[in-house]
Amino acid sequence: MKLERAIFLPLLFFLGTVVSLGQTQPAPAETEAVQVTGLTGVKQNTKGSLKVENGSLSFAYSQGSCDVPAASIQDVVTGSDSQRVIGGTVGTISRLAPYGGGTALSLLRTKLDIITIQYRDPNGGLHGAIFTMPVGKAELIKEALLAKGAHTSISSKEDSTADPTQQSEAKEQLR
Amino acid sequence: MKPIKTATILWTLVAALSAAPLLCAQEHPLAKVNATAKASAIQIEMIQARDVSLPAEFQVALYENLIQEMQKEGGFPEVYRDGDRNAAGAPELVILHTTVTGFKQGSELKRDVTTVGGATSITVLCQFTDKEGKVLLERSIDGKVRLIGDNLKATDDFAKKTAKLTAERFTPDRNDSDSDSAILR
Repeated sequence: MKLERAIFLPLLFFLGTVVSLGQTQPAPAETEAVQVTGLTGVKQNTKGSLKVENGSLSFAYSQGSCDVPAASIQDVVTGSDSQRVIGGTVGTISRLAPYGGGTALSLLRTKLDIITIQYRDPNGGLHGAIFTMPVGKAELIKEALLAKGAHTSISSKEDSTADPTQQSEAKEQLR
Repeated sequence: MKPIKTATILWTLVAALSAAPLLCAQEHPLAKVNATAKASAIQIEMIQARDVSLPAEFQVALYENLIQEMQKEGGFPEVYRDGDRNAAGAPELVILHTTVTGFKQGSELKRDVTTVGGATSITVLCQFTDKEGKVLLERSIDGKVRLIGDNLKATDDFAKKTAKLTAERFTPDRNDSDSDSAILR
């Protein structure tokens, strides 16, 4: 009997641990992102970290953070684009490289995801914000936002160029 | 006979010259209304794209850049967003309705490689109205990026042009002589 107990108890303990780990909440969706435009008080093309936490979309950057309540987001849409690997001032100067070097550098591009949101401030004013992030992250952020009460006019993946009449009809239904 | 003929011709000339500006003013009724309009605040409505397939990021970039440029260059003390309840109490409010009528998404890669192709262009119909919906000014304004910059830069170009036009037409401190010259143009 003692031997059975000795086997049974650790087994029970092990299973309990496994079950509790399985039930823990998933980590909040978080990714590196660039705020292209839209957030109040944040400069254009600011790099930072984007995550969905405590019912809000939170963008943290070197000088602070900006939160948008998910419930105030009336549209969230994902898309895709690409950008030069060497960007900014160096990228601009590199265009002048001789013997077609600038053109060759232009061919080096990375794909990225875009997430676009529209939300209302407490006065009812409509805001829009655009973020770019590594490929595959936008859908995770979008799903996390939808789970927290955000709305979308387009539910399918990578469909930001969907029929605009369909978008406007969906928005009208939301209102 | 000669003095009578000369006098008749002179009077005809004077009459014709006096009528010309009036006729021109009739040809541009929107400009005339705009010239006399006083405006102290502007409300910018969300960009509409009814018949044009416009990516969401372009729609939002157009809207946000327009607001930023209006705040910087538009000449209005107050710039309200779409749906802002504070706009209801603003005196002499101008409302800007915008509809995208043309959109061609180019390619930054193509611009870099060819330097002549791959341009992105957006054409937007801008309609300035008062609170009652009376049209004060209507213009089609385009935004382009031809050489350097990503596609969204076209929205910045459009916003700058629109803010410049607004500053020219709706500056509250404008005097009447300027308004008259605007009609003649």
